[in-house]
Amino acid sequence: MEVNGLKLELGYIFIKDIQFAEKSKVENGTLYVNKEEVKAIILEDQNFKSADVELAKPGESVRIMPVKDVIEPRVKVEGPGGIFPGMVSKVETVGSGKTNVLKGAAVITTGKIVGFQEGIIDMTGPGAEYTPFSQTNNLVLVCEPIESLKQHEHEKALRFAGYKVAMYLGELAKNMTPDQVDTFETPTLVEGIKMYPELPRVAYVCMLQSQGLMHDTYVYGVDAKQTISTLIYPTEMMDGAIVSGNCVSACDKNTTYHHLNNPVVHDLFAEHGKTLNFVGVIITNENVYLADKERSSNWSAKLAEYLGVDGVIVSEEGFGNPDTDLIMNCKKIENKGIKTVLITDEYAGRDGTSQSLADADVRANAVVTGGNANEVIELPPMDKIIGHVEVADVIAGGFDGSLHADGSITAELQVITGATNEMGFNKLSAR
Amino acid sequence: MLKVVHYINQFFANVGGEEMAHIPAELREGNVGPGLAFQQAFGDEAQIVATIVCGDSYFNENMEEAQKTIINMVKELQPDLFIAGPAFNAGRYGVACGTIAKAVKDQLNIPVLTGMYKENPGADMFKTSLYVVSTKNSAAGMRDAVKKMAPLALKLAKGEKIGASSEEGYMPNGIRKNFFDTERGSKRAVKMLLSKLADKEFETEFPMPDFDRVAPNPAVKDITKAKIALVTSGGIVPKGNPDHIESSSASKYGKYDIDGVMDLTEATYETAHGGYDPVYANLDPDRVLPVDILREFEKQGKIGSLHRYFYTTVGNGTAVKSAKAFAAKFAQELKADGVDAVILTST
Amino acid sequence: MIITNNEKVYDKYKDKIKIIFVQGGFKDVLVKTRDKIHEGHELLTHPLSSSVKPNETPFKSVMISDDKRSLNLDSLYIIENSIMTYDNFSKHKFGMMTDQITEDFKLIDLTVLESALNI
Repeated sequence: MEVNGLKLELGYIFIKDIQFAEKSKVENGTLYVNKEEVKAIILEDQNFKSADVELAKPGESVRIMPVKDVIEPRVKVEGPGGIFPGMVSKVETVGSGKTNVLKGAAVITTGKIVGFQEGIIDMTGPGAEYTPFSQTNNLVLVCEPIESLKQHEHEKALRFAGYKVAMYLGELAKNMTPDQVDTFETPTLVEGIKMYPELPRVAYVCMLQSQGLMHDTYVYGVDAKQTISTLIYPTEMMDGAIVSGNCVSACDKNTTYHHLNNPVVHDLFAEHGKTLNFVGVIITNENVYLADKERSSNWSAKLAEYLGVDGVIVSEEGFGNPDTDLIMNCKKIENKGIKTVLITDEYAGRDGTSQSLADADVRANAVVTGGNANEVIELPPMDKIIGHVEVADVIAGGFDGSLHADGSITAELQVITGATNEMGFNKLSAR
Repeated sequence: MLKVVHYINQFFANVGGEEMAHIPAELREGNVGPGLAFQQAFGDEAQIVATIVCGDSYFNENMEEAQKTIINMVKELQPDLFIAGPAFNAGRYGVACGTIAKAVKDQLNIPVLTGMYKENPGADMFKTSLYVVSTKNSAAGMRDAVKKMAPLALKLAKGEKIGASSEEGYMPNGIRKNFFDTERGSKRAVKMLLSKLADKEFETEFPMPDFDRVAPNPAVKDITKAKIALVTSGGIVPKGNPDHIESSSASKYGKYDIDGVMDLTEATYETAHGGYDPVYANLDPDRVLPVDILREFEKQGKIGSLHRYFYTTVGNGTAVKSAKAFAAKFAQELKADGVDAVILTST
Repeated sequence: MIITNNEKVYDKYKDKIKIIFVQGGFKDVLVKTRDKIHEGHELLTHPLSSSVKPNETPFKSVMISDDKRSLNLDSLYIIENSIMTYDNFSKHKFGMMTDQITEDFKLIDLTVLESALNI
């Protein structure tokens, strides 16, 4: 049956190794990268005075810090638009046709935009268990800004450098035959009701952090602060419609990689047509202005009701004031008679006894947790550090004396990129 | 070989049922009753060297005596671990297990463990002060209980690190611990939603804090005829604080007679509260307990009358549990005295 | 009006918006905000703005209404919860802060505040 809506075939090319080479290409599961070409791409932006490119592979004694963003190389093979629409591609609607993915590879940007910035990825050891990026073959971009470059210019330059390099790598996969193809299809509302009249209707409310420098998210290039809650096809997210400009705090901010691989989207698709009807995605922001919170949550609840869904999963991003957005979304959606499950993380103190969330409500009776971000972890010294190690003492979750003379770090889980992800990316939980 | 002492009640010791619940604590050698199942589970890692059998009525009616006796018994034996129960849904047994286990833990510094059904009153009372394993609601769940309790018991005895409540089988005790689940969070969320949508039972991974909202009573019909009482957590007491209500973490409340008192003055009353600057309250305690205004209202016929007793305690740092307990007690007196409404002042 | 202990915010907006400058730390700003809410001001931005934790940055700016009305219970609930959340965080010493890092924290606080001003 020819269905309207959006249908996307994601083709995975499995990457098991990454190496520098004369010519960039993908062969037998290895991603070969010409270092100079990548550097040249970074230096196209004259805001950078120098750039270096390093490799970090699973199992190596390597520590990357501070991490700004992680991006997965993808490329449009067929269908309208390009990856990261509104950012490095035109704004044409994406999410249909075919997209190839270098699965197992990632581009990581680092750089001291602000002195306290955080984000540690350890490729081995206890820290490696808490980040998904200890399992990916990483191309790490270390970029030095020109003198007196303003922080927000630096952030923007680094952000775009990441996308451009990811695009460059993605292009290598354009004409390849994927090792595996997964198809994702979202019918229009009307078609969906006809196809699955008996199944419970479910939507995903994806909350996006939107608070300022180092705290922003972009949708087709639009700053999420400026958006009102709206609808998006899940496959648009797979083509990079939503990208990350934020990295605070490392443990519960969503990297661009997380947006591309949104696990709630994938796990709802897995059940779509079987136990539920995955109707679509509502994206909503987390502004600081209280009236914005009211407006956005009113809007999410309104859309959920309009879509006629029976239940929603709500994922949060960040700490503190987003807990207020989370609870507002929960209350208002539950008040429409729609059941909610929330995904969040916790700040229950180092001893686990403090109140985990900054807000609460009795209607939030179904919660999945990504873990207590305050739990302290000992990160042993690594043989190689990519980036700047001296920030350890000031990064979130680090503290005076975090960085020890031997290079080991005592810090809270907060410092590890993706550790307590609130999309439910990881198996970490708490009781 | 680790040494274990086991506490059970008269029923599980096969002494008898309710009719034998009055027996005092007695020490038996080795394992008794369910102790055998524990011993089998311990293998040769630990040995139940003694079992203390005590009647539930005896324990609950002679708490101080019973605890003292049992503590001495345990002290003599110097075990590495003390296990009580499991009590399943037997309320008095659960309270006894929790009480004696906590006493052993606090006074002898020995690791302790007990088990009971989640609705056993002993569960809420003790799950935050010691590990309480969640069991089924009857002795039919003995095998299941031992299966959960034995490994945790050994860990405690050896001083090993204890994981999250869902991993180890104990009731969530308010201390959040991380652990790696078998599935990722998003999958757990999808499953939880499917259960919630189907009205099936599910367990949230993070229970919201207990709100304990009290629904307000309907408004007083005729305030001009109502008997109003004053109650405060602002700590207003007769000068000299005769009952020594503490300035913080109050362990008691006071009941004072203001029959004939038209106004509280610096000479006659003061504040015991340590959580605010007392100067203005001491200069004129009516500021916290408005006796003068209510006497005026009485005269003007705006209220029926001011009750002759006021109740007071200090709110500073006082446990919610204590405050609840005080109020539950004197609310009965207020009702008996025909009070229609209460004005609560706090600081 | 803005309640802040961030000089960057004060210097930039002192001629455009009423600013109460607090000589003190993060919690002092929260407490001053709470006092104002008890006076009847309405909270306009969330006091726990930004994901930089309260024990990591010494700077905080909060926006409240210029006018006073009767006590706004929602504002009270949020400020009290924010103070409680602050107290939950173990206390750091800010010893390791270089001038640059201090500037960076001030900048983040400023831009997060501005995200509300621009609306």
